[in-house]
Amino acid sequence: METFEDIKEAKDILQTLIKAKKTLRMYLPNNPIYAKTIEDAYARFKSFFDYRDTFVINITHNSISYDSKQIYYNPEKEDNLALFFFKDGLREITFKKGLLQEELEDFLKVIALDFDREAVDNDIVTLFWEKDFQNIKYIVDEAYLVDLDGEDYESKAEKEVKDKVSDFDELMKAYADGFKEEDVKTVSIVPVTDGDLQMLAGEMEKDSYTKVEKLAAILFEILYQSEGKVELEDTVSFLKDSIKFSMHRGDLNIVLNIIKKAEKIFEDPLLTENAKEHIKMLLLYPGTEEMIGLFAELLDSGIEWDEKVFKEFLEFLDKNAVAPLVKFLGELKTVHARKSVIEALVVLGKMDIQALARGLDDRRWFVVRNIIYILKKIGDRRAIEYLLRTVRHGDIRVRKEVIRALGELGGREVIQTLGESLDDPDVQVRVLSAKALGSSGSEAAKKIILEKISDKMFKEKEFEEKREFYEVLSKWKDTEVFDFLVRALEKKSFFGRAKNYENRTCAAFCLGLLGNKDALPILYKHKESNNKLLREFSYTAIKRIEYGQ
Amino acid sequence: MASKRNGDQSSQDVINQLAVILRTAQIHDPGNIAVTTAIERFISLINTLLEAERSISLELRGEFLYIDGTRIRYSLEYILNLNFLIREFKKREIGNIIFKDKIKPDDLRLFLKAFITSGFSDTPYEKLLDVMKESPRIGIARLKKVKEGEAADIRKIIKKTYFNAVSYTKGVMKKIKSGEKVNIKKAKRIVETMVDQLLEDEQILLSMTAIKDYDEYTYHHSVNVSILSVALGQRVGLSKKVLTELGLAALFHDIGKIEIPYEVLNKPSNFTDDEWRIIRKHPIWGVRAILGLRGFESTTLRSSIVAFEHHMNYDFSGYPRIREYTGLDFFSRLVSLADQYDAMTSSRVYSRLSMPPDKALSIMMENAGTQLDPLLFKFFINMVGVFPVGTVVVLDTKEVGLVYESDAVFTDRPRVLIIIDRKGKRVQGPVVTLTEKDEEGEYLRSIVKTLDLNKYKINLAEYLL
Repeated sequence: METFEDIKEAKDILQTLIKAKKTLRMYLPNNPIYAKTIEDAYARFKSFFDYRDTFVINITHNSISYDSKQIYYNPEKEDNLALFFFKDGLREITFKKGLLQEELEDFLKVIALDFDREAVDNDIVTLFWEKDFQNIKYIVDEAYLVDLDGEDYESKAEKEVKDKVSDFDELMKAYADGFKEEDVKTVSIVPVTDGDLQMLAGEMEKDSYTKVEKLAAILFEILYQSEGKVELEDTVSFLKDSIKFSMHRGDLNIVLNIIKKAEKIFEDPLLTENAKEHIKMLLLYPGTEEMIGLFAELLDSGIEWDEKVFKEFLEFLDKNAVAPLVKFLGELKTVHARKSVIEALVVLGKMDIQALARGLDDRRWFVVRNIIYILKKIGDRRAIEYLLRTVRHGDIRVRKEVIRALGELGGREVIQTLGESLDDPDVQVRVLSAKALGSSGSEAAKKIILEKISDKMFKEKEFEEKREFYEVLSKWKDTEVFDFLVRALEKKSFFGRAKNYENRTCAAFCLGLLGNKDALPILYKHKESNNKLLREFSYTAIKRIEYGQ
Repeated sequence: MASKRNGDQSSQDVINQLAVILRTAQIHDPGNIAVTTAIERFISLINTLLEAERSISLELRGEFLYIDGTRIRYSLEYILNLNFLIREFKKREIGNIIFKDKIKPDDLRLFLKAFITSGFSDTPYEKLLDVMKESPRIGIARLKKVKEGEAADIRKIIKKTYFNAVSYTKGVMKKIKSGEKVNIKKAKRIVETMVDQLLEDEQILLSMTAIKDYDEYTYHHSVNVSILSVALGQRVGLSKKVLTELGLAALFHDIGKIEIPYEVLNKPSNFTDDEWRIIRKHPIWGVRAILGLRGFESTTLRSSIVAFEHHMNYDFSGYPRIREYTGLDFFSRLVSLADQYDAMTSSRVYSRLSMPPDKALSIMMENAGTQLDPLLFKFFINMVGVFPVGTVVVLDTKEVGLVYESDAVFTDRPRVLIIIDRKGKRVQGPVVTLTEKDEEGEYLRSIVKTLDLNKYKINLAEYLL
């Protein structure tokens, strides 16, 4: 008979288990609270086992008892520890002295699982069983396993089979026949040898690979033998599942192999046209929103795939993958994942520029910028019409990216927009636009830049911006520009002389970049200027022209 | 023992090293360096374990060895040594060896001397005990015989497990057929229980598979194949968790048969070509049924593969025929053996007469290497024994008996339930062990021949249930 003290300790242990069940659900294993909960629970058991060998609890629907004393009662369905154990058939749990902390932790991890919410494939008893505890034993009511409305199968089957009694006469005949002659049985004993064991070990090692590909191969075989629409649909649906299952597990290589196989059999003349139609759908499956979602999730988890496999997988995706990839681009949390999706869209985007360009309407500036970058990388001029729409985007980072993109894509339709961007409120955008115009090298672009620099307000800009504009002008090494620069260098002003000197300095700088020796006399002249800035830039320009420095 | 993993490793080391000293001491002189080195190694190991445990027992219960009450599972790393120890224990009727305190080389030398000399004695256990009385640190105990009452209780529990499994299988097949949801968690629980029981006492559950006269063949066959597969899986050293996967795969291997029309499946005469065509579809239907049941997950993966491949044969001569051969799955090869054996020894609708187990084995032996995996067949025959449970045997003592339990080590000397005594009188028992010898060291009973139980209408259920 247990004492009051024993019962109190038993209750304490149970409360510790209840607390641990909640805590382990709330915290991650690396959290100090998680670790402390396990340590505390273990300490309780250890202290209990100082004077006892076992801690046995008996479980009913609503209560838990220790030594016939109820130590837990809960009539509710929710948060009922007794019911939690009872529903899967557990009727008694025994913790033995010698319980290891790792065993207790495993036990607590199992009971902390939220069986209602998490997709747990096993019940508590199976999970306990898999842990193979040495110091935690349990008794299970197996009646749970047989349907209550079912018949008493055991009695029925036993009666049925026992009713067929042995025939006494036949038995005696067996006896008589048995000794008619001394038919000594030669037995074949086949001992297992070391060699057999080695072979078996080899077989088992060969067998340790994942079975998804094998089952997929079987499903392809079934596809050939499928009769009728429903069978075909089912088989393809299972094949889709195999792709999804592998993607879930991050086995991109397997996904790839399954798609490759599908592509191969698509070419097989033995496959019916109907089956081919289904294969077509299968080939599109990796690019669906569902699959790309999984793909994106994996990327976000930091998974690292073989570069070759990754690229090959992208090559197998169809244009239907573009829209989902764009969608998930905005939802990814890590830079690594975004980079990978951008890389994927650079490859795939060209198949559906329109779908890709839809990303330009995204409310998140970074998505828009990424899409512009992708369109720039793809280098397809069909993208221009979409890009032009983002030139007035509210975020400067987007505007900068689009100017770069437009600059690289070039073309007549871009020049005007770039010219307009020279008036952008942001200096960086203005400079980038000028540079983009410079890169195009067209007469129209030159005209725009010359007009901009000739504008009387131009000299009011900051020196650095002006210098950038002049530098762009140096892309056109013709007489018109040369003459323009000479005029600008010689230009005098009564008002705003300091700003005018800046303009002249920029002209001297640009003449240096042009490298035309005809500019040397005028530059020598200004090398002696009173203005320090003009003096220095003229000197530098001379050196550049004379010595190519 | 500090942790489970360490425990497994220590068990393996104890088995291997004890087997090494016993083998070495049987060949060499006690002073030989091979013996002394083996002794030193064993002492170092056992004393390290004794520091934590104070005493360690190595016990033989039925066909299994236990260290401190924990069963040592079969593992490829020490399966031969394990069998060697079981055989040597049995030969000397040793039930338990207990190591206490700190073992010294002299203790072990004494034990080795007693162990070797007892092997030549007509009363080996007494001889061993007589010498070991002197040793305060190594104790021995005689092999316990399971009491009849205990055996009956265990048999009752195991029988319940068997019929639960059949009942569940019947329910599952009916539910799938009517499109109802199936609780696969229950299937796992049932297979886990079977795995536990096979690990604990393989023979009783195996004996349940020997009774073949049930009307509902398909359900019993599924369970039998599951039991036989798990038992075989255990012999090749699969872990408990993998055994469950195997058991589930085997349980559902024929699930595609639910699609076969009742009148075809239960046709009492030979099948027509068209009917065969339908029968041959069941592996494909099996895949569809399993994947339809649970979708794509690790358990269904293996089960589907087995359902598809279990009739394909080792040399791919079976069905379904496929375009690309990639080799049969390991589970499929295991289940095929169990499936063939159970099917051959069962009376089915289209083949009312079942084959005697030993006859089935001899046919399977002919098929090993073509239809069946020859390597796994070796393990299979070692598991069921040369005379499997349910074989009717004539003994040289003018008795007729039924093989009741096979012997893991002496596969041709099972335990036999006497059904006709030497006076020709019908009896039900006793159960005799064919490894038992008389004072001259001659076997008390040996099998002379086997009889066809169908020919003489012997109902196994009368004796085994």
